[in-house]
Amino acid sequence: MELEEMQAVWSQMSDQLENQNKLTNKLIMQMTQERYKNKIGILSKYEGIGAIVCFIAALSLLLQLPKFDTWYLLVSAVFTIAYLIIVPLVVLHSIKEMKRINLIENTYKETLVAYAQKKKQFLLKQRIGIYLNFILLVVSLPVIFKVFKDEDIFMTNVNLMYWYVPIMAIFLLVFSRWGYGKYKNVTNSASKILEELDNTSS
Amino acid sequence: MTKEETFTRIIKQNEGVIYKITRLYTRNEEDQKDLYQEIVYQLWKAFDGFRGDAKVSTWMYRIALNTALFHLKKDKRSGYSVSLDTVVLKQKEYDPLLDERLNVLYDSIRNLEDLDKAIVFLFLEEKKYEEIAVITGITSSNVSTRMARIKEKLKTQIIKK
Repeated sequence: MELEEMQAVWSQMSDQLENQNKLTNKLIMQMTQERYKNKIGILSKYEGIGAIVCFIAALSLLLQLPKFDTWYLLVSAVFTIAYLIIVPLVVLHSIKEMKRINLIENTYKETLVAYAQKKKQFLLKQRIGIYLNFILLVVSLPVIFKVFKDEDIFMTNVNLMYWYVPIMAIFLLVFSRWGYGKYKNVTNSASKILEELDNTSS
Repeated sequence: MTKEETFTRIIKQNEGVIYKITRLYTRNEEDQKDLYQEIVYQLWKAFDGFRGDAKVSTWMYRIALNTALFHLKKDKRSGYSVSLDTVVLKQKEYDPLLDERLNVLYDSIRNLEDLDKAIVFLFLEEKKYEEIAVITGITSSNVSTRMARIKEKLKTQIIKK
């Protein structure tokens, strides 16, 4: 459809819309209030609950830290605790940052730029997260064994580690290659948007 | 006139504009209703800061387009569950021929890049290049250059079809 034809159709539609009055005062105010109520609970729904679960797990591990009596078990436990605290905090911070985009004061271009930048940052964090997840999968196994069975997996079930670690390594390789491809595409497109928008200010 | 009365009057005067933006930035009725509520909510939130030194339409288009853009891009999982039935959309009363042409029109605009989408929408709303520049944040000369490119893109879309 060419622009001139679009203008004609658009104008016809606008005329028809002018004659329809569907909203009432009550409905309009209801929309703002209902929306406000729903805004409050957003964080608590997914990321907030996830973060609380992680913090409780970290605290419980912290209390059992004396149990980890060898240096490698201690390193595994410390990594797991750090992961359970830092990763949820990073996720919550990213969400907060995303929400800080000022839809009220910004121009459309500023919103596009802010979004593209935050998207790039978020994807970088996500990529780091993928690697951390796999390290966690490996190091959490000795931690789980120690906490629930009070066993040092390297002494009692070391065979389990022999197949568990290589399988995890293969997963890491395949998944990260796939993730990197996706990451590259999205960041390239975000960079393209930023570059293009940069040209519009000259 | 109270704040609520002034606000509802402005929304009622511009409900068609909000409707058009929501239809342009969504692909199904549920998302459209959700975006409609979000725009009304953002406008209400911004209403205290609206001093009246800008045109109501400029203020409204800017916030509505920003909200639509952000709503479209953000992760759906961080969305909210709202009773969507409270929003009544307008399109039911079109005649079928117009509706068919409108579908083609909206699809053509949706296929454009985000910035071009907003520019062509404001152009169809009969906004001057200066006002489009204020809302989108690019220069008037850039609006003019981009409009020329958009015309070409729309022609190419027809040829491809």
